[in-house]
Amino acid sequence: MSPQFVDFNGDGHLDIVCGIFDGSPHVAFGDGTHWRQPVGILDKEGQRIVMNEFWNFDTEQWDSTHRCDPDGGAPAPGHLTSAIAMDIDRDGDFDLVLGDHKSGYVYLRRNEGTDASPAFATRNELVMAGGSPMRDPGTVATLRSVDWNGDGRLDLMVGGMGDPYGSATGGGVAVYLDVGTGDATEFGPAVQLIEPSPKTATGGPTRPDSGLHPEAVDFDGDGDLGLIVGGYSHWTPEGPELTAAEQKELAQTKARLAEITARIVELNAEMLKAQEGLAAEAALELRRKLLQDPERKRLRSEEQKLRRRQNELEPTAKRVSFTWLYEQY
Amino acid sequence: MKNRYPSWMATALAAAVLSPTTPSQTTRFAPPVRLQAGDKLLGKGRLYPSPAVHDLDGDGRLDVFVGDLRGHITFALRNPDGTFADEQKLRDADGKVLDFGNW
Repeated sequence: MSPQFVDFNGDGHLDIVCGIFDGSPHVAFGDGTHWRQPVGILDKEGQRIVMNEFWNFDTEQWDSTHRCDPDGGAPAPGHLTSAIAMDIDRDGDFDLVLGDHKSGYVYLRRNEGTDASPAFATRNELVMAGGSPMRDPGTVATLRSVDWNGDGRLDLMVGGMGDPYGSATGGGVAVYLDVGTGDATEFGPAVQLIEPSPKTATGGPTRPDSGLHPEAVDFDGDGDLGLIVGGYSHWTPEGPELTAAEQKELAQTKARLAEITARIVELNAEMLKAQEGLAAEAALELRRKLLQDPERKRLRSEEQKLRRRQNELEPTAKRVSFTWLYEQY
Repeated sequence: MKNRYPSWMATALAAAVLSPTTPSQTTRFAPPVRLQAGDKLLGKGRLYPSPAVHDLDGDGRLDVFVGDLRGHITFALRNPDGTFADEQKLRDADGKVLDFGNW
């Protein structure tokens, strides 16, 4: 969830708006001192605002719907995980801009009411950019509204998710400038501020590589906007140059780890077989006893030592989240 | 027009108007650096950390907030020297952690 500080209900106090993984936008209303626990932002009929996939609180399962699809249908299945308040139709009240974590599209949920008495439409509309539906190829991690080029019109910034775990391309940050001149917002094509990460770092973290969540701000007061970006850094630690003896040790370590894994699989199968036919409580008691089996404990202890040594000889890829500051030159 | 955005945004806008930029041609960032809060790296290890800024204590300095996938928000107040104090959880008036993670 990406908190956005904004006076959503127009009472003079900043509220916190965000989309979360349940698939809907939420708001925590502020009183100038504290924020109340968040509530869902509903449409004018009292229905949840979603894309397609969402967490169903009644069935307590993931669910899907086409109830909110744009006229003509959604271009691809969507899952809302980010949302910001932005007066995208420039009629004086906040609409919602919704980010799609699944397929990368950006949608508008138009406010047909006012800030004090909102009436959000029952369907999403595709947000267009440069004549095509706005879409981040790395899918949307989050959205931000900011006047990036200082022309007095709010632009839309998109943080890209990218491949969050594997070696495929990571996320970047793009801004879509409002190039309109009249009352309507008109987004131009994407201007890449941070290129999608190739994930080639070695030795240590060098940048946020996936799940990029930017915030634009003149942090050092030098007159231009920088970015604070949360996300995951991916890197491959540099391993030592192995001697012939260490190479042999590494091969032996891997072989022994494979043996240990195979034996633990056997022990697990034996444990499951021994539990067959027992009542739940008796099965649990037997499981506790078998987990204390001396052979199993010895194997686990040996496995831990061997994995530590393997990681010293051949470090594995790292993935850790941080928050980074980008300042313009 | 009433101020519907945080005060920092108006400051940023004014600064940007004084030095307009065309990002496609002129936006070049220095190599990024990791932010620190107290003696820890800000947001390290959080699930999908998402920063935002707001002057929480009204001292004229932007404080930094970090939301995460679990639906929690932390904040770190900015010190006069520009560094950040330790991260703290954002709580409601009753002291309960503000919790967006209802799924």
